Parts: sequence; C-alpha cells; structure tokens
Amino acid sequence: MKKKILPLIFLIIFSLTSWSEARVYLDINSPSFVQIPIVLPKWKAVEKTPSNVVEKIYETVSNDLTLSGFFKVITYPTLPPTLQRKEGIPGSVVLQEWTAGGGEILLAGEVSAHSDPLDISVTFHLFDLVEEKHLVGKQYEGSVQLIRHMAHRIADEVVLQVTGERGVHTTKVAYVVAQGQSKEITTADFDGANIRPITQNQSINISPAWTPDGKKIAFTSYLKRNPDLYLIDLDGKGLQRFSYSPGLNASPSWAPGGKEIALMMGMDGKSEIALIDADGKNPKKLTQSHGNEASPSWSPDGKRIAFVSDRSGPPQIYVMGRDGSNVRRLTFEGNYNTSPAWSPKGDQIAFCGRVGGRFEVFVIRPDGTGLQRLTSNSGHNEKPSWTPDGRYIAFSSTRTGGSKIFIMNSNGFNPRPLTTSRGGELSPAISRRFD
Amino acid sequence: MSKKCLVIILVLFLGFVALGCPKKTVMREEPSASQSAADQERARLEAEQALREKEAREREEAAKKAQSEFEKSLVAKKYPGIEGEVLESSLLKDVYFDFDRYDIRSQDAEVLKQNAALLTKYPNVKIQVEGHCDERGTQEYNLALGERRANSAKRYLASLGIPSDRVSIISYGEERPFDPAQTEDAWAKNRRAHFVILSK
Repeated sequence: MKKKILPLIFLIIFSLTSWSEARVYLDINSPSFVQIPIVLPKWKAVEKTPSNVVEKIYETVSNDLTLSGFFKVITYPTLPPTLQRKEGIPGSVVLQEWTAGGGEILLAGEVSAHSDPLDISVTFHLFDLVEEKHLVGKQYEGSVQLIRHMAHRIADEVVLQVTGERGVHTTKVAYVVAQGQSKEITTADFDGANIRPITQNQSINISPAWTPDGKKIAFTSYLKRNPDLYLIDLDGKGLQRFSYSPGLNASPSWAPGGKEIALMMGMDGKSEIALIDADGKNPKKLTQSHGNEASPSWSPDGKRIAFVSDRSGPPQIYVMGRDGSNVRRLTFEGNYNTSPAWSPKGDQIAFCGRVGGRFEVFVIRPDGTGLQRLTSNSGHNEKPSWTPDGRYIAFSSTRTGGSKIFIMNSNGFNPRPLTTSRGGELSPAISRRFD
Repeated sequence: MSKKCLVIILVLFLGFVALGCPKKTVMREEPSASQSAADQERARLEAEQALREKEAREREEAAKKAQSEFEKSLVAKKYPGIEGEVLESSLLKDVYFDFDRYDIRSQDAEVLKQNAALLTKYPNVKIQVEGHCDERGTQEYNLALGERRANSAKRYLASLGIPSDRVSIISYGEERPFDPAQTEDAWAKNRRAHFVILSK
C-alpha cells in the first residue's frame, strides 16, 4: 500500500489564503449548522485523457463531499443548461457566471494523462463565489490506479479550506463480516468502496483494531482454540499470533505513542484489563475488583483508560489512571453500558447503552456530565468508533434489517450506511488518515 | 450251552458286586474327625473364592459396560476454522445461567456432581469448559461473561475434587449459540457452560 502511495506527489500551485483567513468556518456538529452549497462544474479531460478516468475522480470527489455532511453538492447535470456543458477549467474560471448555479463555493478540476498512459495529473482549484476569491489550488500526480486516493485527498483539502480541519476521506474502516458460523475481518474505504477481505480462514475473527501506524490490523481469532490476539497486514498476509496466554486475549487499545497496549486478558478465572508491551509480552494486570472487566479505550493524552466493569452489578463505564489507580464510575443511567470509545479530542466518550431492550449509542464527558443519546428507536446500535478528527462516529446498526456499519456525525445527525451490503457487518474500527 | 455260560458270568459278576460294595460303604462311614473339619473349611474357602471371582467378573463386566457406554457416548466434533478436534459426550451435561449472571444455579449443581462423578471414574479424561452467552449482550462484554461462566463451572468441579489441570476453559461469548433462534427459550439454552473432551 505504502509503495503505491509514494509515487503520488502534489504541488501547491498557489494558495492565496490560508485556512485561518477563509471566509467560512463550519462546525458540523453545531445545532445551527447549515450545509454549504458547493458547485462542481464538469471537469476537463485534457487532450487524450480517457473520459472515464475524469468521471471516476469527479464522482468520487462529489460523493466524498456529500458524505462529509458539510456540503450540499451541486453536480453539473443539475445546473442551468448554459452551465451544464461548460467545463470549469482551473485558472480560467469566470466566477460571476457560476453564481447562477446556486453555489457559494466552486470546485473546478481537470485531469491530464501523461505520455505514459498509466500516469495522470489532477489539478483542482477552489473558489469562494460570494467573496469572489480563490481559496486553494493543488495538483496531484501519480498512477491512474490511485485516482480514488487522489479524489479523497482533494475532498479532504476542500473540507480543510471550509472547516479548518482536514477531512477523513483517506481513512479506512475495518469491520467484521459474519458468514454462516465464521466471522472474517474486512476493510473498506471511508466511502464504502474498495471492500477487501483481510482474513479468509473460516474461524471466529472478531474485534478488529488498527495499529497506530495503520499498517496492520489486530484482532482476536479462535484459530488455535483459544481467543488469541493476532496481527495481520492489510493485504491479508503476515499473520502473526501476538498475545496468547490461556483464556481471553481481546479488545486491544494502543496507548498514544504505541508503546503499550491495553486489552482484555483472562487472569485468575475472569477477564481483567491488562497492559502488554508493544511486542505482546510482559502482561500487567490493571484492574482489582471481583467484577468482569472489558473493552479498554485510552484517553488521547495517554493518562487514563475507559473500560467496562460489572463490579457494582450490571456492566457500566468506568475510567481509571494508566496504572489502574483512581477508578471512577462514569455511567449511572441505564443498566447495561458497554463498548466505550474515547474521542480523539479527549472531550467525550462514546458508548453503547441499553434502553428498553435496544442498544443505542451515547456520548458522555469524561467527568460524567453531558450524557447525550445519539441514536434512537431504530434497531440495535452498537460498538461506536471515532474518526481521527472526532467529527464522525461509526457504529453497527440493525435499523435496516441485518447488522450494517453506519457512520454519523458525532452529534448523531446524518447517519448513512457504509456499504451497500445486506447485513452481517459488525464491530467497525476507523483507521488513521492514509494521506 | 450259551445260556449256561451267560448265567455263570452273571452270577460271578453279581457275586463280585455283592462282595465289593459293602467294603466301600464301610470306608465312607468311618472318616476321622479332623479330616472332616479341614474338608469343610476348604469347601467354604473355595465357595468364597468363587463368589469373589464372580463378583469381580461382574464388576469388570459392569465397568466394561460403563466404559463402552462412555465410549459409545463420544462423538468427535470439529469446529470450522479452529485447530484440532474435540469429543462430546452425552454423559457430560451442560449447565445453564440466568441472564447476565455467572453463578451456578442450585438445580445445576446436581448436574455438575454427575459430571464430576464421571470424571472421577475416568481420571485420564481432560476436558474443556466452554462459556457461552446469548446474543443480547454486546460482543466484548459477552466474551468476559463467557470466561466467567466457564470458570464458575471449573471451580465447582474443583470443589468436587476434579483437579484444575484436567479442566481448561474457553469463552466463546455469543459466537456459538446452541440455538440461533431469537426467542427466550433459545436464549436460555444459549447461556450455558458446555463440556468437551480434549483427551481421554
């Protein structure tokens, strides 16, 4: 994967403003948030560039911008007839004529194939139609196989210009696909395309988690008749048994910096939260209670760990220091709260709580205040996982029938299914950005 | 002529019999007292020995029958994607748990006693206790719950004298339901500790 990305270079052609000077600054999760209309004129295929390559990039960018939730995307077929066929060519855009399309922002682009047909360069420019100014322009060069990746980078750049933080369209989602009795690990891009089976061993493979560098996926598998922790490369090769003491080895969470891993381990006849070194060795028990402990999640500052414990009866969310000290119960509402996920900004912990027999996704602040329910009355909603920008939460939901991976804004708005599958999808985990 | 001969032979034979029989009868009627006691003792011991042998034979047969009953009860089971093969025996019964609980219920203690009795009879058998949950919980917490359920059963067996090195545990969480239906009945069947034989 990395080898493929390396040849991709980008040049900042010109950038008249930096993001801090941008006209708009959007908070997707603000209650007053209104989507910004962005117009995407037809992109130009320079000279002999195959039109399907340009169409693919155009579609991917436009889909990404829609999925981001920040934009109301106006594609060229919906423009007034005079503008429909007009290509918005970077560098020669007459801004005034595009305001008729109803957009406030304009994204123009063109693609040119090099003499080597496998090499292309993609150029885009972003304009503010209201203030009539150029926001950013960039060019990406690389193999034609990387067109989706280039499109994701363009979308992320547009999100950066408009919101002050990069988008997350270059991330991937690892999840479990149930196939009969077996469960296999699978990955997909953030837009749900590019689905790849990672394990194909017919065993029970569950609880995927990304290594901090995004190069491997950790998961628990029953291959050797014990729930052991494994690592695997993104091409499905290099399977490595990583933590395999008798009993549970499950639900790994890498400490920021990647030197330690918190996980569930079977010790003294029950599941405990333990720390192991980055090489899987040297387990240290952190929890000291008579209860069952599950699902550790590090705070982004590496000082605390959220986890599940049933020490006081039904399972609830707790927080402790990295050495197991200062244990504090966080949730007091409901009688089944599990699967905590600490947000990358540190300000919230998402979890799965049971309400009237259904599972719903909630968030709560690490001090126990600000409890908020994000999903409601639509099937079971489980296993929240944050994007690296903290603006989205992936989860599994049975709202449309079979369990599927959904992604929503972190305020619960705009839920959408990741893939078009009919079900059997569980336990999403979102990677770092691959840019 | 021949009639005369036959009569003579018959007379001689009868005479021999008449002379010989009273002699034998006299010998039996006059045994010594000590010889008689020894014979009685020997007879008693022989009878006892025979009874012991008979009992041993019966025991052996019963054991053989039980052994063959145990042997007959064994069914090899292969889980897809999981290394190795285990044996299941209908004589090792499952125990069940209440929702979100992992304590052994009083009605299941009897089942564990029977399982322990079987394991005591076959001291070479090594088993694995599988902890299972119903699907209603969340996956990772169910892994923890299954671990605890399996260990509850293991500890109970240990309290009945089954050494813990003969009993390993594994939590399958909600991954291997006995009955995949989404009913209270199915869920109750799925919240179980199941016993499989790793070696015998």
